[in-house]
Amino acid sequence: MTSYGMVFDVKRCIGCNACTVACKQENSLPDGVFFTRTLSAETGEFPNVSRTYLPTICNHCEDAPCEKVCPSGATWTRDDGIVMVDADKCIGCGSCAVACPYDMRTQIEETQIKAGLFGDGNLTPFEEQGYSRFECGTFTKCDFCSERVDAGKDPACVATCPTDARIFGDLDDPDSKVSRLIRDRLGRQPLPEKNTRPKVFYID
Amino acid sequence: MFNISLKNTLRPGFAGRTFKSGYRFQRYWGTPMATAFFCGETGAGLFIISMLLDFMPGIILGLLITGVGKTFFHLTHMGVPSKSWRAILRPDRSWISRGLWGIIFFVGFGSLHILGQIFGVMPEALAQPVYYLALAGAMVVIVYQGFAMSHSTAISLWSTGLMPVSSMLYGLLAGTSLITILSVFGFSAAHMDMVITVQNILLVGVLVTLISLLHGAKNGSKGAQQSYVLLTSDFLARPFLYGVVGIGVLIPLLIGLLASQNTITILVSGVCVLIGFCLFRLLIFKAGVLDPILSPADIFKR
Ligand code: SF4
Ligand code: SF4
Repeated sequence: MTSYGMVFDVKRCIGCNACTVACKQENSLPDGVFFTRTLSAETGEFPNVSRTYLPTICNHCEDAPCEKVCPSGATWTRDDGIVMVDADKCIGCGSCAVACPYDMRTQIEETQIKAGLFGDGNLTPFEEQGYSRFECGTFTKCDFCSERVDAGKDPACVATCPTDARIFGDLDDPDSKVSRLIRDRLGRQPLPEKNTRPKVFYID
Repeated sequence: MFNISLKNTLRPGFAGRTFKSGYRFQRYWGTPMATAFFCGETGAGLFIISMLLDFMPGIILGLLITGVGKTFFHLTHMGVPSKSWRAILRPDRSWISRGLWGIIFFVGFGSLHILGQIFGVMPEALAQPVYYLALAGAMVVIVYQGFAMSHSTAISLWSTGLMPVSSMLYGLLAGTSLITILSVFGFSAAHMDMVITVQNILLVGVLVTLISLLHGAKNGSKGAQQSYVLLTSDFLARPFLYGVVGIGVLIPLLIGLLASQNTITILVSGVCVLIGFCLFRLLIFKAGVLDPILSPADIFKR
């Protein structure tokens, strides 16, 4: 059985956020909505300081709390492990948002959709075709670009990353690149103590 | 008086909505949801105690507070209110769903009970099942919100068995307080002395729960420790310590134990409890902090 997951190679990430932009473009995300972000953190004390970049994304948790708490059945998991949100079923209660330890849920607000990127209510043709996929008031998140994955492609953020810091693949295949990286370089999951069994791993 | 604005969210160590790694506040359950929780627990608490005392004004008011107040604030909170009915669909896994079923039972059978009592139209064989089903619905409503909060591990302050306990104790406490307030306006329940004694016991229970909550947060995960700091020495400390603990618990407890019972003391004590409970609901939401997703220090520790 396929189980899609992702590996972030923190050593390779240069914090350019090309992934963030590619995701926004691929998913026509309104102003202020991000499905993936590369966070930065300073470590150490002067003069021995360094900056680390941490790509973040929905972890498509195997034991997804966002799915467990969803009262309407809008959040569900595909057979290949991708956690999806059905905007038609979502009631906008926000239970998933407070249940996700990774802050990966975002509400689509009417003002964001109506005002558009320039804030004057005049939507660009790009916005007009893209925003039709959103239901105002519902909660949304990354779906690993499921349409691209179904077509045999990598998610947009992975395809765009100039340093190959994002690697996508089948965690159930022991010979896949993601499985090998996790095994060989001791992949670590974010907040494992939350018992969500994330399918995103960090290596350094 | 108290500055609990979310403008205070950009503080050292907190990332807000920036592209920095750090603590983040939960930001999707706000004042409407807190008010809905307050109405649900207060209404259910008043209903349960009034049912046990067979106190019809309390039964009706409790049902209205939950049925109208809670529903109104929930709908205000919902992103898509027109589809809210869908929340009944997953009682197998979601506490929100279970709670909605509780509300349906509570309001449905509670209304039948009231109609049966007032107009005497309820057949004898149905009266008892209706009474117990309404009570069961109210019991679900008084605790489910606490379970919904404690169910998820995301916000460590909430992820504790103390959440449903605090819901239950606060709900019953607000219920007894409303019964005493109603007595000031001429609607007196039987056994008022007992109600006041129960109120004092519940106040002690709430105080112990609050201390346990802070103790657990102080010794919990990093996010929980941030919540503890916020509630005890940061911008939420004044409303929490003065409002929730002082006004909401200590003043009514002192009045209950030391002062003689008269209209003024009963009114002051009851109103203080309601203010404290309302603030508690709001502040517990505001103090909900998410742990940093992945600390770089953790990566390089190996
Ligand atoms: S990261 Fe959050 S939104 Fe994504 S599956 Fe896990 S709990 Fe759900
Ligand atoms: S906001 Fe939508 S997806 Fe999230 S829990 Fe509520 S109904 Fe489910």
